[in-house]
Amino acid sequence: MSDQNNHQKDAGLILRVENLSKSFGGVKAVVSVSFDLYEGQLLGVIGPNGSGKTTLVNLITGFLKPDQGKIVYKGKEINGWAPYRIARIGIARTFQMIRPFAELPSFKNLIIPLYSPRVKALSGGKYGDLDAVAKDYLEEVGFERESAVTYKSAGSLPHGYLKRLELAKCLALRADLIILDELFSGLSIAELASIVPIIEKLISEGKTVIMIEHRLRELFRIADRVVVLNYGSVIAEGIPSEVMERPEVRKAYLGSE
Amino acid sequence: MWEVALIYGFINSVILALTALGFSLTFGISGVSNFAYGAMYIFAGFASWLLLNKLALPFFLSAAIAVILTAGLGAAMYRFVLLRVRGLVISEVIATFGVGLIILELFRYLGFSGFEYTLPVFSDGSLLIGNTYVDYQRIWIVGVGIVLAIGLYLFTHYTKIGLAFRGIAQDEHTALSLGINSDRIAGLSVAFGSGLAAIAAILILPRGTIAVNDGYDVLINAMAVCIIGGLGSSVGVVLASFLIGYAQIMTDILSGPHWKMIISLVAILVILVVKPSGLLGKQKELEERI
Repeated sequence: MSDQNNHQKDAGLILRVENLSKSFGGVKAVVSVSFDLYEGQLLGVIGPNGSGKTTLVNLITGFLKPDQGKIVYKGKEINGWAPYRIARIGIARTFQMIRPFAELPSFKNLIIPLYSPRVKALSGGKYGDLDAVAKDYLEEVGFERESAVTYKSAGSLPHGYLKRLELAKCLALRADLIILDELFSGLSIAELASIVPIIEKLISEGKTVIMIEHRLRELFRIADRVVVLNYGSVIAEGIPSEVMERPEVRKAYLGSE
Repeated sequence: MWEVALIYGFINSVILALTALGFSLTFGISGVSNFAYGAMYIFAGFASWLLLNKLALPFFLSAAIAVILTAGLGAAMYRFVLLRVRGLVISEVIATFGVGLIILELFRYLGFSGFEYTLPVFSDGSLLIGNTYVDYQRIWIVGVGIVLAIGLYLFTHYTKIGLAFRGIAQDEHTALSLGINSDRIAGLSVAFGSGLAAIAAILILPRGTIAVNDGYDVLINAMAVCIIGGLGSSVGVVLASFLIGYAQIMTDILSGPHWKMIISLVAILVILVVKPSGLLGKQKELEERI
């Protein structure tokens, strides 16, 4: 905690993204993006397809290196760090195309993050009964205790359970900042109704969440703030109900006609 | 004759599985084809020989040090050569093959050839099975081979590093996002594979002399077994070892030992034509090719 910023206005600041840019060849995927995120907030990142949302996630989590700009997490500059180091300081992410360890049983998928040095340090150097801990996390995201899905190989899980497993992995890593890339996509209304409270609970426990989403209605119900990207740039930022009223946002979403 | 074929076919199969185990493990975990694999095998043989004969260490100590040195050589190759080209398959193959060539040809250049280069057997004598004599070294090979296979299974299923191995084998990106340093784990997998080559060498080489050219044969056999079994499939490796193992012994008995090596090459060709991803392999790109 020694490197925490003293400025009053920075109290509770967990992530600061400053002038972040990334191009692929001639395509500018992310253009000078800046935003601040405070502890315990839920930030939505929205924008039309190809607006740079996933590139932004990949930059923050180290899967891509920025061309320009700074990413500061809890006072530490992390731009250019390897993904595993970023995971170890408490930033977890999910992937838009879900990527479980397909041949491992669901609960074993969680043993891998449970073995990470971060979790070991946070739990006082002891691992304990990891199978039981893994099952606790699965229960937290809605797997029934000792149910068949707990032991099934992750590759054979139904879509809804795969999404829950993604969430559980972030929990098992004991991340403070959780970045969910289109978690809601492909979920039924009923599945959404059961997964939204899990996210609300995370927030109430003090976690910070970034959600990349296309399902705006569901997102707006829980987001504190949204950032709107278009062609890689931030075109609007604010509380959800206001942002959607802005003409530039309507234009980006509905087209210029 | 059939009894001999049965027993020696079995032993030959275990030998093949033992030589292929490390190659398969490394590929299965990190996707790296270690073409220096045969060189690692020979390196372990000469390293052990040097420690035994030049430093006069006890045999088992020199063997243990040779295994560690070979694993270290694998780790160093990953760190200083492979890491730079990681992900470019053709570069990985060329780079590791180059390292293997340097090692093997360096031994040849330094004059490591002759009947004096041989490792001692673990214990003298032989066992009569039915009407067939089997020397103790071959019994050792079969015993250690089986123990090693079971040990590897337990290792990959019940230890922390083993689980990390399986994690990066199944999805490297997810593993990274959960805090696994995949470069380090991949390096470990190359070191482990090289160490397994060394164990195979220590067990198998006492049957003859340590010859530089065997390095190339070991690589071909390991590749044959892995390609036929399906790259990355450990059950496939065992299955293919028994197929080729018995095929080699039958060829040996029916048409003479010099045809033995051809079998592996023909088997590779046949399987590549008939089922390109191997008996139990899952190479989606190959199966779904249009």
